[in-house]
Amino acid sequence: MKETDVVRKAKKGDKEAFAELVTNYSERIYNLALRILRNREDAEDILQETFLNVLQKLDTFDGRSNFFTWIYRIATNASLMKLRKKRLGFTELPENPDLGPRHEERIIVDWSQDPSFNIQNEEIKKIIDTAINQLSEIYRTVFILRDIEQLSIKETSKILNISEENVKIRLRRARMFLRDKISEYYEGSVV
Amino acid sequence: MKSPTHQEVYKKICDFMGEDLNAPACKEVAEHLESCPNCKVYLDTVKKTVIICQEIEKEEKMPQEVKNRLFKVLNLAVDF
Repeated sequence: MKETDVVRKAKKGDKEAFAELVTNYSERIYNLALRILRNREDAEDILQETFLNVLQKLDTFDGRSNFFTWIYRIATNASLMKLRKKRLGFTELPENPDLGPRHEERIIVDWSQDPSFNIQNEEIKKIIDTAINQLSEIYRTVFILRDIEQLSIKETSKILNISEENVKIRLRRARMFLRDKISEYYEGSVV
Repeated sequence: MKSPTHQEVYKKICDFMGEDLNAPACKEVAEHLESCPNCKVYLDTVKKTVIICQEIEKEEKMPQEVKNRLFKVLNLAVDF
């Protein structure tokens, strides 16, 4: 059965159809929340909150966006609300990190071919985890939706309700921040 | 025509990476990369950053008890 038909049935109160939507999306929503919040208990809270919200608001879903975008928006917003409540020590990214002169002033060290830079390297994992945790919500969500979930710029902009240009700006800053964190580690470890 | 500066290239690298790198808008970047080792290294390290992050953030299997609790909260029959 096509998803639009499942959604239509679920809107009419068909429990089996709703269960099918839950089965189809729960794994992805759990992982999305886990990636944003970086905590399994919080991810489970968001998973439940998202589907309770879907259950409540399904009759308002008009099908203008696809169901995937709609549920991702609900889950992302819920995750952001939780993240805001936790107010962890985010790093404020400079307004124009890409316009700084430092990249032009020195030779950039190439660690992209270093075989030790892989996911078996626990230090790299830790550095990336810490760095993602330091990203404030606006950068973190764009990076996760676009680069980790591998959604398009257009989908990311629809889910976050921001312009495509804004997605690109935030993505650029997040990528540069993360790249620079790995570079700092690499340059520190080879000196 | 004036060549793009390093800064302009960095900006474009990040804008287009993940999109079609052969898109016309990326041609200018590709041409610059051929003659600029620094920008090439920059692109390679940004790409590698994204790849490592994708590997680290791979999808995690949702525990069965999490599924069970979800179905219970939603008052649905567990069918798995």
